[in-house]
Amino acid sequence: MSWLTPRIGAQLVDLGSAMLLLTCFAIVAQRRLSACVDLFALQSAFLAMTATLVAFLTGTRHIYIAAALTVVVKSVVIPHVLRRVIERLNVTRELVMNVNVPASLLICGALVMTAFIITQPIISFGHLLTRNSLAIALAIVLIGFFTMIARQKAVTQLIAFLVMENGLFLGATAATYGMPLIVELGVFFDVLIAALIAGIYTNRLQDAFDSVDTSRLSELKE
Amino acid sequence: MLIPTILSAIVLSVTQVLVLVMLAPLIVGLIRKVKARLQCRRGPSLFQPYADLAKLFRKQSVISSTTSWIFTATPYIVFGSTLTAGLLVPVFVAQVPLSFAGNIIALVYLFALGTFFLILAGLDAGSAFGGMGGSREAIVASLTEPAMILSIFAIALTAGSTNLSTIVHKTALLEGVATDPVPHLMALAALFIVTLAETGRVPVDNPATHLELTMIHEAMILEYSGRYLALLEWASAIKLLVFLTLIANVFAPWGIATDPTPLALVVGGMVYVAKVSLLAALIGLIECMFAKLRLFRVTDLLGVAFILALLGLLFFYILQD
Repeated sequence: MSWLTPRIGAQLVDLGSAMLLLTCFAIVAQRRLSACVDLFALQSAFLAMTATLVAFLTGTRHIYIAAALTVVVKSVVIPHVLRRVIERLNVTRELVMNVNVPASLLICGALVMTAFIITQPIISFGHLLTRNSLAIALAIVLIGFFTMIARQKAVTQLIAFLVMENGLFLGATAATYGMPLIVELGVFFDVLIAALIAGIYTNRLQDAFDSVDTSRLSELKE
Repeated sequence: MLIPTILSAIVLSVTQVLVLVMLAPLIVGLIRKVKARLQCRRGPSLFQPYADLAKLFRKQSVISSTTSWIFTATPYIVFGSTLTAGLLVPVFVAQVPLSFAGNIIALVYLFALGTFFLILAGLDAGSAFGGMGGSREAIVASLTEPAMILSIFAIALTAGSTNLSTIVHKTALLEGVATDPVPHLMALAALFIVTLAETGRVPVDNPATHLELTMIHEAMILEYSGRYLALLEWASAIKLLVFLTLIANVFAPWGIATDPTPLALVVGGMVYVAKVSLLAALIGLIECMFAKLRLFRVTDLLGVAFILALLGLLFFYILQD
């Protein structure tokens, strides 16, 4: 592969990370929950693609396993679970928001800038292929965090949590070419369990309040 | 300038505009055909828009007695400004002879001039629908403009010039893109949304219906008939094609003729038609996949476009090294 110089490789990794950020914004702008789930599956697919690229460029074998796990767990299993939850709860769209969509988008734009400003001093020291992705990874984590605060339905918050996790995985790949395999396996297992528990919790919320609005939880008394 | 004589420059300019003018109804026909096929209909022939235009040109036009000169002048102004915008965009040759006359900022405001007069004409006839369509168009236009300017600036920065010919020429010779593809990706997504909004395609406006609740562009031209209507329809088809040309040639100009040899010109022309047809098919696909947005949700979509364009600009500064 003579044409695949480190420079072009780094640009391809940047491109993959940018696709992740693009889907992030699509999730923030989207109100229909089923579309949010589809977008999350797509984002995970882009994440797996970026990770595979990093594995190929650096020759770090175990990232291939992590990428394959990403596809299985985050693009297939978790979206399937989420679709079942949405189907059972019969919630189709996010109607109540703490922050409306255009304002959320502007705030997310500001968060991306913040992430870039924070990582700027670190980036200039780095010599890794993936150093630019670090800023994007931080931006995705911040956007996921913000979405969890800004939305009231439990399902959207769960998706935002998973988006945050995607950002962390990208960050780990960007900062250190992936964590040790055993850690990554543990994280995948945790995320899967977390998604399942949050799914069950959402169902219980629906049973208790006839709504998946998490602000109702403040009504709970002993 | 690459082209040595003034004569060949004139010929080239005229040919590029003629291609735009003649190809525009075909592209509209293609979008309709793709849409019809995806909806399991046979759909009208690809050349139906030409027949429609010919029919409208033969018909007598009825003009309301309450209208002023703006109403009759608008179709010519809209057609003229769109055509002038077409002169500035490289179609199948990277270097447009008239490129010294205006850059991308001029292009954006030539379109804005047409939109402005369309809004005035919508108000001029005094019908309720015209005013409604005009106010809606004003919302959409004011929201697309920043997104469009920013997305084109992101591209202009990578090429180091706001001149469209220079941008396309440099990108075609891989002088600009070598920096980074990320700003391009963001700006492409933004410009595509802007194109859908500016040309009144499905998520923003539906060109196929005349439903009071939803129409934007159709509401403004409701009072027009005969040759005036034909001119406006033709102008909106050309506007669509100019936008598609802009996307095709600014973001993926490969194949465009970078020097005026006959072979390069033929290849450039064929590649151009292929690229534009592909984009038109994509628009047809999108029109099938998505429903029209509620009017007040259009701002969300255009907000996404604006933020993406802004990020494109930001990425240019961050990722350059």
